[in-house]
Amino acid sequence: MTLLVPLQGLNPVQFLVNGLVFSSVIVLASIGLSLVYSIADFANFAHGDTMTVGAFGALAAAGVLAPAMEGILVFGFPVWMFAALFVGMALAAVVVVATEFVIYRPLDTGSIELLITSIGVALAYRAVIFLGFGTDASRYGVPRAGPIPEIRETLNLAVTPRQVVAVVSAIVLVGALHVLLQYTTLGRKMRATADDPTLARVSGIRTREVIIAMWVIGGVLAAAGGVFLGLETLVRPRMGFDILLIVFAAVILGGIGSVYGAMLGGLVIGMLYELTPLFSMVGIPIGNEYAEAVAFVIMVVILLVRPQGIAGDAT
Amino acid sequence: MSSGSGSGSDASTDAAAASRAERALSVSNVDSGYGEAQVLSDLNLHVDRGEIVCLIGPNGAGKSTVLKTVFGLLKPWEGTVMLGDEDITGTDPEDLVRMGVGYVPQVDNVFGSLTIDENLRMGGVARKGGVDEVIRELYDRFPILDNKREAKARTLSGGQRQVLAFARALVMEPDVLLIDEPSAGLAPSIVEEVFEDVQTVNELGTAILMVEQNAREGLAISDRGYVLDQGTVAYEDDADGLLDNPEVSQLYLGGADYE
Ligand SMILES: Nc1ncnc2c1ncn2[C@@H]1O[C@H](COP(=O)(O)OP(=O)(O)O)[C@@H](O)[C@H]1O
Ligand SMILES: [Mg+2]
Repeated sequence: MTLLVPLQGLNPVQFLVNGLVFSSVIVLASIGLSLVYSIADFANFAHGDTMTVGAFGALAAAGVLAPAMEGILVFGFPVWMFAALFVGMALAAVVVVATEFVIYRPLDTGSIELLITSIGVALAYRAVIFLGFGTDASRYGVPRAGPIPEIRETLNLAVTPRQVVAVVSAIVLVGALHVLLQYTTLGRKMRATADDPTLARVSGIRTREVIIAMWVIGGVLAAAGGVFLGLETLVRPRMGFDILLIVFAAVILGGIGSVYGAMLGGLVIGMLYELTPLFSMVGIPIGNEYAEAVAFVIMVVILLVRPQGIAGDAT
Repeated sequence: MSSGSGSGSDASTDAAAASRAERALSVSNVDSGYGEAQVLSDLNLHVDRGEIVCLIGPNGAGKSTVLKTVFGLLKPWEGTVMLGDEDITGTDPEDLVRMGVGYVPQVDNVFGSLTIDENLRMGGVARKGGVDEVIRELYDRFPILDNKREAKARTLSGGQRQVLAFARALVMEPDVLLIDEPSAGLAPSIVEEVFEDVQTVNELGTAILMVEQNAREGLAISDRGYVLDQGTVAYEDDADGLLDNPEVSQLYLGGADYE
């Protein structure tokens, strides 16, 4: 899959721009995966499909909202797409919280068992999506706007409005999460629970409520990632699952369980992924089809040097 | 005077007979352990209001297990735990905090990745109304913490950590405080300070059940004591009685080098 909008002049900075868009998707997805790992203590293989749930929630909402809100634009972008995004985010939150109540909490079992369970959950999410939407790829139907002319003329870069929306939204969401984690009681409780769940309970923190908050945040951000991925490419039932390995790579690269590490890891992996074509510019003939492999190789190399992940223990 | 392990049944009739208003905490006929492994058997002990009670005994006797069982981190297999006249057997820690019980674990008792200030705030999440006032008082009382409000707890020395763990539990101003080896690994001068802090908290109205390895020093500030051996109470007496008991001294206090 490529998010490239190739440009004749091949400005190398173009790859950074593309990387930033893909990074936004990966960062949004990585945060939730890392949160679940640090607070609920398991590798959640349903996280990719949570992205898909969000993307399809937005797709369903777009079908209803687009005709109703026709023609209203925000930053040159249809306002119904923003509304659909919120619906997708809300749906994903509801679905993961319901999953916590119906499946993970009653099971109350170890990390490995939960990991296996989450694979089943992933298949269940996808099966429901297949039932509702079939197996075909869809589009949100946001009119394909060309690159923003001003940026193209001044910087020789092709940047589309939807790319700007994805990157700016990711920055806003990540910033909001940072404020929540650092400056609110809920955020402190989340960090305390991730640090030591037993001591958290001993201090009087109702960790079950913290876990619900964690699911909501992780689900909402994953859904946003899924929607932006769907906007750049297509909305497909396997989209989240296909990207999950890269998200895991980002989380591991950042130092598994560390939210800020996940942000950084997501940024790096997204960039590596889109910068792969640059190899051919320096005479190494690997194209975008090897992007995933290259990203993984570089991840392994970095981890050999810094086994604790690039963010160390920054939580 | 000291009594042997037969004290179990005495204590339970005791507990029933005792003036209920006086009992802050009572543990009656409790069995507990980890998974299949039983650690405590037919354990009986109590803490009256205003008391400091010291729990001593060899390594692995089950002292920490007693506190974990009282605080709901382990669910008793048998028996009852009462807080005043309320049955709290198996009640979750987060609820006990709200009922006026505090607990300072032996290890892992601070949030290393949180600042001192955040650690104290976490100690007060269950407090109704604000925590600012109490935390300010605690800073006054423990200047070590005041000087390092924004430092991550993992950067503290062992003694400072112990003070932070203690202060964290005090934010709730508990009626009953369980403390597991507050002096473990600390330099003698700091041990003295920690014990002084424990006494201060007790004087302010908190009943204390304290596990101590430094048995003599621990008993010295306590009203009563229990010797735990292999998961059950081997001796119980007032603190002076235990300190003067040649058997206890020989077996559990490291010889007769007292007074
Ligand atoms: N988490 C645990 N899981 C299994 N066994 C444990 C655990 N913690 C302690 N034990 C066992 O329980 C017994 C009592 O331990 P503990 O209560 O910590 O003793 P003490 O505090 O008196 O040194 C020991 O035999 C110890 O090995
Ligand atoms: Mg112990």
